[in-house]
Amino acid sequence: MQQLADLGDTSGSKPGAIEVRDLSHVYDGVNGQVKALEDISMHVAPGKFTVIVGPSGCGKTSLLMMMAGLRAQTSGELLCHGAPIPQPDPKRVGVVFQEASLYPWLTAVQNVEFPLSLRNDPKTERRERALQMLALVGLEGFADRYPHELSGGMKQRVSIARGLVQDPPVLLMDEPFAALDEQTRMTMGHELLRIWSTTSKTVVFITHSLTEAVYLADEVLVMSARPGRIIDRIAIDLPRPRTYEMMATDKFGGLRERIWQQIRSAH
Amino acid sequence: MTRLRLALSRAALLAAVLLAWDLLPRWEVINPALLPPFGEVMSALWTLLQRPKVHDAIAVTSAEVLVAFIIAIPLGTLLGVLIAEKPYLGAVFKPLLFYVFSIPKSIFLPMFILVFGITFAQKVAYAAFTTTFVVLMSATACVESVKNEYIEVARSYGATRRQLILRVYIPSMLPMLLETIRISMIFNFTGVMIAEMYASRTGIGHLIGSWGENFQMPQLFAGIVLLSAIAILFNESVRWLEERCSNWRT
Repeated sequence: MQQLADLGDTSGSKPGAIEVRDLSHVYDGVNGQVKALEDISMHVAPGKFTVIVGPSGCGKTSLLMMMAGLRAQTSGELLCHGAPIPQPDPKRVGVVFQEASLYPWLTAVQNVEFPLSLRNDPKTERRERALQMLALVGLEGFADRYPHELSGGMKQRVSIARGLVQDPPVLLMDEPFAALDEQTRMTMGHELLRIWSTTSKTVVFITHSLTEAVYLADEVLVMSARPGRIIDRIAIDLPRPRTYEMMATDKFGGLRERIWQQIRSAH
Repeated sequence: MTRLRLALSRAALLAAVLLAWDLLPRWEVINPALLPPFGEVMSALWTLLQRPKVHDAIAVTSAEVLVAFIIAIPLGTLLGVLIAEKPYLGAVFKPLLFYVFSIPKSIFLPMFILVFGITFAQKVAYAAFTTTFVVLMSATACVESVKNEYIEVARSYGATRRQLILRVYIPSMLPMLLETIRISMIFNFTGVMIAEMYASRTGIGHLIGSWGENFQMPQLFAGIVLLSAIAILFNESVRWLEERCSNWRT
């Protein structure tokens, strides 16, 4: 972190900022080397909601995993508040995966407590914090239910609560609503914005849904098909709080169209 | 159907079977020389259970079953986990294991007799050999059944390797592990019985074999009832435990 200050670049060292510079990733596939990501450079400002869209297989999940410290890139730099993230650091980055990631042998509150229990925090504090998070996502009263007793939307709320429980400044979300039906998705998106507005977290969100992208984001990054490159950055200057009515406006439609054009042209 | 009705129906079925077992031979509908009445079998069993010779046989068989089990479970588990965790080992060994798995192990029994003679070790070795394969295959399946997402989630929260094993792998595998234990005990028991019946001077299997040869039918069936009772008891205990641990399984 000292070196970065010397370089005069302070924006990357603010809590909750993500800086990616010329990141590329190559891996060994069945038929030789595969270039998954090519020269990705991006800056996510602290407290902003950034959405990444792109065709399947473009490497957006891999990129997110690198931001989470679960995977290492083969070249280029990735910094989270100015420091690299070679392994998972739950104090800096929280991750919300897709639906099937709650532990079925634990209750909702035990699932939310799980990250804290890995650190051996005292039991009463853990439970209290976990219950707070469940209340935040609207699930107080469901603490002692098992995942198989919860609906898809509820399970995903628990997953979000778990991602928030250690209060990391950055939250990464990999298509968290993909397994939900459209109506639940819309409700959950709205809920997520509500929860996000009570915190000042930086969010990086991956989705296939262009509507979801425009609805949620401050900025949408469009990726090309493999090897994934960033082909466009689209600022979404719709006012907050976002409403369902905005989805019917021409401006919304125009933004959505622009993203779609970009994705199609990049094939 | 209510639970009470179900329980009563099942009890009635059992009673009917035992009653038929008792009456049909007595009425000579079934040849009593081949199938002694249930009552006779029970009194033979009672007599046998008083004899020291039978106590010894039970002790020997139990010891063989236990020792073979204690060898096979850790050995099979270790090998199974290794194969699941090291993809290269898995790729190399799996086809071979599948082939060997399909061979009926009882054909190897004469080999074990040649190597060990007719001894305690022979029966233990044979049973352990049979059981290890079963445990191995199950253990591999167990480890592979732990969903990748579960592991990624724990890793993203900074879990150490030890925490991964204790907090993710084991709870996730627990129901399947119990099932493995239950099924491998069945194979284990069978292995010991086959070895004892084929060539042995001790053990319940040997007694059953000799009762059969000497046409002592009440004793033969008494032995079968005794062994069945033990096997069922073990099986149901583990199954009960399995069910208690699996309430989260869909």
